[in-house]
Amino acid sequence: MAELEIKNVSKHFGGLKAVDQFDLSIEKNQIFGLIGPNGAGKSTLFNCVAGVYAPTYGQVSFRGDEITGMKPWDICKKRIARTFQLVKPFKMKTVLYNTMVGAYIRSTNPAEVRDMALDVLERLKLADEKDTLAKNLTIADRKRLELARAMATDPEMLLLDECMAGLRPNEVDEVLEIIRGIRDGGVTIFVIEHIMRAIMSVSDRIAVIHFGKKIAEGTPEEVSTNDKVIKAYLGESYVAT
Amino acid sequence: MTKETLDKILKIVLIVGVFTLPLWMSSPAYLQIVILLFWYAYITTSWNMVGGWAGVLPLGHSAYIGIGAYTSTVLAIHYGLSPWIGMVAGGILAAIVGIIIGIPTLKMRGAYFALSTMAFGEGVRVFVENTDKLGPFVLNGPRGICIPLQESFTNFQFMSKVPYYYIILIMLCIALFVTWYMSRIRIGYYLNAGGEEPEAAQSLGVNVARYKVIAMGISCFMTALAGTFYAQLMLYFYPKGLLGLDLSFEIAFISLIGGRGTLAGPVIGALLLRPVTDFSRIYFSSMLPGLHLVIYGVVLILVMLYQPRGLQAPLSRFYDWFLNKMTGNVVEKEVKS
Amino acid sequence: MNLLPPASAIRENEVKMDFIIQAIVSGILMGSIYGLAALGLTLIFGVIKVINFAHGSCLMVGMYAAYWVVTLTGANPYLALVVVVPMLFLFGYFLEDFLINPILKAQGDVREPTEIIVVTSGVWYILDNITLMIFGAEYRVVQTSISGKAFELGQIIVSTPKLYGLIATIIVSVALVWFFKSTKLGKSIRAASLDREAASLMGINQYRMYNIAFGIGTAIMGVVGCVLIPFYYVFPTVGVIFDVKCFIIVVLGGLGSIPGALIGGLVVGLIESVGAQFMTSTWTELIVYAVFLAVLFVMPSGLFGEKKDW
Repeated sequence: MAELEIKNVSKHFGGLKAVDQFDLSIEKNQIFGLIGPNGAGKSTLFNCVAGVYAPTYGQVSFRGDEITGMKPWDICKKRIARTFQLVKPFKMKTVLYNTMVGAYIRSTNPAEVRDMALDVLERLKLADEKDTLAKNLTIADRKRLELARAMATDPEMLLLDECMAGLRPNEVDEVLEIIRGIRDGGVTIFVIEHIMRAIMSVSDRIAVIHFGKKIAEGTPEEVSTNDKVIKAYLGESYVAT
Repeated sequence: MTKETLDKILKIVLIVGVFTLPLWMSSPAYLQIVILLFWYAYITTSWNMVGGWAGVLPLGHSAYIGIGAYTSTVLAIHYGLSPWIGMVAGGILAAIVGIIIGIPTLKMRGAYFALSTMAFGEGVRVFVENTDKLGPFVLNGPRGICIPLQESFTNFQFMSKVPYYYIILIMLCIALFVTWYMSRIRIGYYLNAGGEEPEAAQSLGVNVARYKVIAMGISCFMTALAGTFYAQLMLYFYPKGLLGLDLSFEIAFISLIGGRGTLAGPVIGALLLRPVTDFSRIYFSSMLPGLHLVIYGVVLILVMLYQPRGLQAPLSRFYDWFLNKMTGNVVEKEVKS
Repeated sequence: MNLLPPASAIRENEVKMDFIIQAIVSGILMGSIYGLAALGLTLIFGVIKVINFAHGSCLMVGMYAAYWVVTLTGANPYLALVVVVPMLFLFGYFLEDFLINPILKAQGDVREPTEIIVVTSGVWYILDNITLMIFGAEYRVVQTSISGKAFELGQIIVSTPKLYGLIATIIVSVALVWFFKSTKLGKSIRAASLDREAASLMGINQYRMYNIAFGIGTAIMGVVGCVLIPFYYVFPTVGVIFDVKCFIIVVLGGLGSIPGALIGGLVVGLIESVGAQFMTSTWTELIVYAVFLAVLFVMPSGLFGEKKDW
């Protein structure tokens, strides 16, 4: 059974079809990438899975259980965590506090939760900043905090929304290593990303979305040589005949 | 002497002073003033649970004070029920009402919540002012209710002001403790998170609306207790005094000026502002009616423009500076990152 | 057994019907004025996304301004519009500039800073009480050429000043709709309302737009002030009454919606005047609150508000 099943999901905003009859299956422990030109509907699809939107049509199920239209907090309780493209740290609180908010879904004991949070911060190499206020962090650290917070909920599946945007190349490599480490820990990862070398190198499979529809799916090699994909990104003239 | 030691000493002196106040302030008139000060501080601390943490602006909290006062008094007069029990009953009723109002409105944007609480608060005032009898219960409309003098502990009435002082002091301490304790357990974290970044909090498993409703319930319960206390202290209350926009707004503004979302903010706000209001009302109201409200408005605006986190921020910095100065500490300049 | 009601009862029912129709007409007239007052508030909310708690006080200022212009110059209150409206526009413009914009700028990423509610409430307190100190608490009334005038439409008596109020409402509403749909300035304001940052990237100084929008909102209160003085008492806290009503109307109709404000105003006006036939004014007040809370529970975005506005 697939870990995450997206069946014929559509999301309409009035007349605009942001996501159009999208089908996707993600296996356990895969790193599955989603790419597409700007405005193609990537985040909207994510939000349909994460509970921010309810799909207009179609179903989403996780490990066989239907999660279509569930609220974000219930989705989190199903062990699906997500990060946001525009990071949303609790700015006036410390890194540790931010992470503890995530960990509180696993326990109500403050001391236990503190230990869980510290553990996550160690693994993500943010432990030194634990007492820094989130608003004083660099952008790279903020993105890492976003990841740490999500990981503190101990998810089985992680939705990463452009978590590498704006990072320098060496920072991107660090994040890639962290993502691989998370997958090795048994988590399935569904990732949206624009930085091509990053997503190509880390994903097991990739789907391509364009104007809300899936136009290709396969391994990174298959997708990067796919005519439709090249046409969508670069235009007709770049398609090798 | 280290800074920490001085800090501890000052705090101990404060606590001892406050707890032994009646011993060295024997005038009942002054004691009454302090009692009312602590009463305001208690109410603002209770208000803070919704207004500070849940991140929304309740502007009708006086309704719950009224619910508390009227419930315990009416039950005492009609059934001879001890106001102590009536106090709890009033609190529970207020919590239920607050939750009913909160459930639809706390899901919405802040403006809707603020307006709904305003409308509800005014609605309660208008209703009580125009109702002489509610079923078998006499509410007496605008004339208010007078509590027959019958001094005894079970009747929550005392000849001297001293017991009242200790009761409100204990209530204030409990309110502060509840606030402090909540901040260290899950509900506190969730409320803070939900108030600051609701979307992020939701993705972390927080049903933000539900926690706001819980905070509302607790806050309304606590606020109602203040109503009963007031009734028993003054032995008389009427709708215009306890209900209505003026008191609701005053509570909100005092808390905001002191610093919402902090432990000390509401208390500081109450202790600083109430005397100003009373002072200007006593001395100026004959010559220039309403001057105290003008001063109030100006203070409000200045604080909001220049110290939006409330006066507790500069005051804590000042306290910190004072401690350093007194203990001869040399402090390195804070490096701004 | 007499099955027919007595003749006197039949006539009583006719008369009652007349009262109700009269009440409906009066309700529509007064309701349109309420709607006009609420327009300013909903406009400010729609553009700047803040609730102006000093709204009623602006109305009070408008009324006093109109009162003094008429009393000192003996002019017709509708002529006073020429002075009062620009005055109120400037008042609102600078109020927004000095008190509200600084907060918006300091809290650029917060959609609706609560400090604004506090600041505008402070303005409300200050305005009401300075007026109290300067002008005293007396209820003033101004005698104009049309005060107390009315004309008859069949059995119905229509109060002339209130009719002018309805006309003013229609004129202002049409002008506003035209302004926002067709003029460049109007469209710039609409752009600024959708997204503070995006509009500024388009070369629109969004804070200037806010000033103008706020100014228009208070200018409308100037119109309401001129419309009200022929038949309404002028006193320092007159704004409070309208304030609460306006808030209720604006939420009922949907924050930011012009038709919503007008229809909300009509609803409130009708409840008040039709209700007054059957119960005291304080109970009609309660019904207005109850309707408001009911709408909030059932249809929180109001009749015309945007659903995704939360």
